[in-house]
Amino acid sequence: MALSPALQLDAAGFSYGAVAALSAVSFAVAPGERVALLGRNGAGKSTLVRLVTGLLHPDEGTVRVGDWDTCDYAPEDLARRVGSVFQHADQQLFARTVREDVSFGPRALGYGEREVARRASDALEALALTAHAAQHPYDLPPALRTLAALAGALALEPAVLVLDEPTVGLDRALRAQVAGALHEHVARGAALLVVTHDLGFAAETLDRGIVLDRGHLAYDEPLATLLASAERLKPLGLVPPAVAALSVALELPGLPVREREAAHTLARVAGAQPRP
Amino acid sequence: MRTRHPFTLLTLAAALPTLAWLLPAPAGALGTAAVAFGLATAAGVRRVLVPAVVTAAPFWLFLFVLHDLPTTLAIGLRITTMVAGFVWLAAVLAPDRLVEAMVARGWSVTVAYVFAATLSAVPLFRARARRIVEAQRCRGLSPRGSVAKRLRALRALALPLLLSALHEVDERALALETRGLRSGARRTPLAPPPDPALERAARWALLLVCIAALVGRLV
Amino acid sequence: MNPLTLEGVEFHYPATEAPALRDVSLAVAAGEIVALVGKVGAGASTLLLVAADLAPRITGGRLTGTVRRRARSGIVLPTPWTQLSGMAFTVWDEVAFGPANLGWPGREIARHVERALERLEIAALAERDPVTLSGGEVQRVILAGILAMDPDVVLLDEPTAELDPAGARALWRLVRVLAGEGKAIVVATSDLDAVPAVADRVAWLEQGAVRAMGAPDLLAEEATCEAGLGTTVAGVWRAAGLAAPYPLTVADAIQRWR
Repeated sequence: MALSPALQLDAAGFSYGAVAALSAVSFAVAPGERVALLGRNGAGKSTLVRLVTGLLHPDEGTVRVGDWDTCDYAPEDLARRVGSVFQHADQQLFARTVREDVSFGPRALGYGEREVARRASDALEALALTAHAAQHPYDLPPALRTLAALAGALALEPAVLVLDEPTVGLDRALRAQVAGALHEHVARGAALLVVTHDLGFAAETLDRGIVLDRGHLAYDEPLATLLASAERLKPLGLVPPAVAALSVALELPGLPVREREAAHTLARVAGAQPRP
Repeated sequence: MRTRHPFTLLTLAAALPTLAWLLPAPAGALGTAAVAFGLATAAGVRRVLVPAVVTAAPFWLFLFVLHDLPTTLAIGLRITTMVAGFVWLAAVLAPDRLVEAMVARGWSVTVAYVFAATLSAVPLFRARARRIVEAQRCRGLSPRGSVAKRLRALRALALPLLLSALHEVDERALALETRGLRSGARRTPLAPPPDPALERAARWALLLVCIAALVGRLV
Repeated sequence: MNPLTLEGVEFHYPATEAPALRDVSLAVAAGEIVALVGKVGAGASTLLLVAADLAPRITGGRLTGTVRRRARSGIVLPTPWTQLSGMAFTVWDEVAFGPANLGWPGREIARHVERALERLEIAALAERDPVTLSGGEVQRVILAGILAMDPDVVLLDEPTAELDPAGARALWRLVRVLAGEGKAIVVATSDLDAVPAVADRVAWLEQGAVRAMGAPDLLAEEATCEAGLGTTVAGVWRAAGLAAPYPLTVADAIQRWR
């Protein structure tokens, strides 16, 4: 039985007035897939995110979330299937406590109080925010407010999770926390689409890379091959992230792009014992 | 209108509502409202006139519920004049030109900034308000539905705007300080606004008209 | 005299028990680039505010110890949109805001503004309304506004946060150019992999105190790597169980590998 894709774009295009921000973009994301959306500023990434969340309807082609055509739905209805966190998400926080704010989404979708409480607790737990759950969002440092906004999206338990630059302002430990929470979420069958400039984070957390260039789809392939390829990244204003660059430079077999794999491969080649 | 001296624009924006309230209704109120709308239209129907009308609309609703027709008309027109005047001013007056004009006249930069900040806050927060609406909609907030639902929705839109704005006040103060706002030096006007004698005369004339209206009202 | 010197600085934010900075000493020479690294909340932003003479003067709070500044400093905070003056309808006016407040003559201002716009590669945006710009563009406008004031000490808090990789690289290049002109630069950054190529010295902040200070090699040492503050290459080398000293960059790793 073929599963319908969680997200599918068919020759989707959108123009702001006369300027085509996105044209003829087609790709499908299956449940459980983790996709990085890459490209320069102005390449069309934000426009694509707005199409997926229903804030914009495509001028040409279609955007489907599961079997829903986004043209038939308003963003607040699409929120049942698409959870999104935009840049500077901490500006959307307003409730008296972090828990209240995280509960906002599921409550708005009409779930019962027990269900809302469960979802909020799970989301807070996933991001290690339970200790801060009773605090006012603005009493938290900005980095934790970002996590609180992410928890709000996780609490929707959407089929498609769309994140725009989720790691800005986060240190290594918090990035790992986010990566863990996303991993858990995806393991339950969600599809993940992350817009990011942090190629290191993309390499660690995501599998597939969709690159936009001036509104067009430039590449759609596994990150493992894409990130190791300096010649292809260069015209897009990108450079291979540290681990990929290291693998290429040392000619490590398999060209691992993830830290753990690189460490193990390195150890194997050097005849050393990797740390646990 | 944008090229007029900032004080002229300010005087006009202050004189219109003053006259609206001082002159006898409904003629006075209607006249000043017409002038205000004329200015707003000249500055841009979509940018100025529509927001002005939309902001004034709720007041008309309340008035209609509370008062009889003549009173509603009188008060409504006056409030509309005030609103339209302010929205128009925010659109045509460049805050930095106002600051320059004030500083050139000897006002302290900090006082001038308070004026300018009130005006420039409008476009800044409009952009953020839009982003917050989008973020909350993507969390399932529906702007449609019963009045109770809409009021709850308003809370989810207004509160984050206010909270984030208040929260940033500290940072804004820091940023302005580092840009030398209170350096003590006399600010160099970037493009000193021309102040032709005709405009100065017009300002005084407006002031006299307002005083005359006040006297007329009291006598 | 150094453009910027902090000696034994302890700082408390208003109504806060725990100090945000504890016994911090740092001297920055002209033409030197110091990178501040540390976990979120370690005190890097506070240190920059103290260096900029904004803490405790504007933020309030208590400061003990000495801060000596030879000349003017300029600081770029991490949230660009809060730093727009709100008093300019064009990018040109926004960049000119600082110099105008300092009372410089018009021609002087024009010269500095044009130069700053060129350096940040935003001359094309000169007539745009700052409110319509993207986050990355605003960040560059703010930096241009600070540079137009010709500060001797440039303080940057996460300057690449809103920029794409190409923009980030351009910024680090600019930072090196500014240091070459004799400016003292202190930059707080979480982009650890970029630090070796940019910084002359690195200060590791932990809970408000300087835990370690030294050349960028600091980011390849055992302690920093264990704390998650080493460069990626050093981290991978260490995780592979290979011996210290760990390579700092890919180039170092190639050397070692041979």
